[in-house]
Amino acid sequence: MRRTLVFAKRNLIEVYRDPLSWIFCIAFPIVMLIIMSIVNSAIPKEAGNTLFRIDNLAGGIAVFGQMFVMLFTAIAVAKDRNGAFLTRLYSSPMKSGNFVWGYILPMLLTAVIQVCVTLIASVVISLISGYQLSIAGLLLTIIAVIPSALMFSSIGFLFGTFFNEKAAPGICSIIISLGAMLGGIWFDVEGVGGFMYKLGKCLPFLYATKLARSAISLEFGVKEFLIPLAVVVLAAMALTVLASIVFNSRMRADQR
Amino acid sequence: MGYAIKTEGLIKRYKDKTAVAGLTLTVNEGELIALLGVNGAGKTTTVKMLTCLTKPSEGKAEIMGCDVTKDPDAVKRLVGISPQDTSVAENLTVKENLEFMADIYLPKEKSAKAVEKTIKAFGLGEFKDKKAKLLSGGYKRKLSIAMAIIGEPKVLFLDEPTLGLDVLARRQLWREIEALKKNMTIVLTTHYMEEAQALADRIVIMNEGKVMAIGTLEELENMTGKKGLEDVFVSIAEKME
Repeated sequence: MRRTLVFAKRNLIEVYRDPLSWIFCIAFPIVMLIIMSIVNSAIPKEAGNTLFRIDNLAGGIAVFGQMFVMLFTAIAVAKDRNGAFLTRLYSSPMKSGNFVWGYILPMLLTAVIQVCVTLIASVVISLISGYQLSIAGLLLTIIAVIPSALMFSSIGFLFGTFFNEKAAPGICSIIISLGAMLGGIWFDVEGVGGFMYKLGKCLPFLYATKLARSAISLEFGVKEFLIPLAVVVLAAMALTVLASIVFNSRMRADQR
Repeated sequence: MGYAIKTEGLIKRYKDKTAVAGLTLTVNEGELIALLGVNGAGKTTTVKMLTCLTKPSEGKAEIMGCDVTKDPDAVKRLVGISPQDTSVAENLTVKENLEFMADIYLPKEKSAKAVEKTIKAFGLGEFKDKKAKLLSGGYKRKLSIAMAIIGEPKVLFLDEPTLGLDVLARRQLWREIEALKKNMTIVLTTHYMEEAQALADRIVIMNEGKVMAIGTLEELENMTGKKGLEDVFVSIAEKME
């Protein structure tokens, strides 16, 4: 456990000392929140579009921000694998579990901090726009998005293990675009229906967004909260196990 | 005095290439041995096998009596390695890098003391709060070696420690390595003749994965009838051709 925390601390410092992490993980979601709120204020009420109303927007952008945590996890892992730093650590008494959680834990923490910052910015915007957000809903959201934070960190870890430093960010960008579209962050996938909705239902992104939005609105229905929660938790668990297995086998292959 | 390293018929095969072809070697405790050879001689692969970074295809290797294949966890606690490429955490300071390695190897109560001691021993005090990525090549190597020894290894592996360094940085690093000799067994790989000559108690000349000659400089000179390691090396290399 101590070695995991020591390695997690190192990874946390590496991420926090990279200015790009601050730009993409903290500043970018806030900028998107502001821009989309401005867009929302320009939509006439008669249109009945509530997608960019702050309660919906905050949940969507909380999940969107986590996708950048995925990107940074992938870069961190791929960068270490590419250099000789992991070689040194492979010959140390560290076990594969120390590596897996040493990478995932700081990213989980980053994701939680990011969600908190996004929600605080949402409160400010809600006060300006006159729409009241529930404090209980906001607090619940911080907890409800932890499974999706784990899910995105694990996807990033998986890509960082599979791909090199140059390929991993590209693959993550595809997932970010795909996740934002099929996750219903920028438009109503359910309303669009057809193939897009069917595909969205097969992937965990839509459920992650739904879960965050339901938590903010304190909606606990089976379809709104429980099913999305179950899907995201299962996806997070499956992806974490898969990432651990892949890293383990890569670690062994590197030592062949 | 016992053996720190003992190998018998150690072989490493990759798909169509034999990187190390039957290495049999014993290194005494407290000895500094240099693996000398041109690129592709099998030096780094030997180090990788002895530090559990790659599994031998055949043969046996022991570090302080612990088998590298059967008991890698025990071996990993006994060895320290400074890999060929500079392997430091770039965004961490010198002190943070050392703390990180100390915390991995040592109990909490010993860690802080070891960091202070290592900073002092390697003359890194002036740079302790500087990020590793901002250090010169020489100081990065110095930090890399400091990170390898902070866990108090019994056997230290230095893979091409002065590769690419200017002559002043190289000489400075030699002094650090000389100072370490008293406390641990050191295996150093190099293709610089003068480095092996200046630092090693015994020299292992390798080529195409095979040990071509092994001994002190004097023994190698007597063996070939040449003076100086460079002429010894050329004489052995020419015989192979």
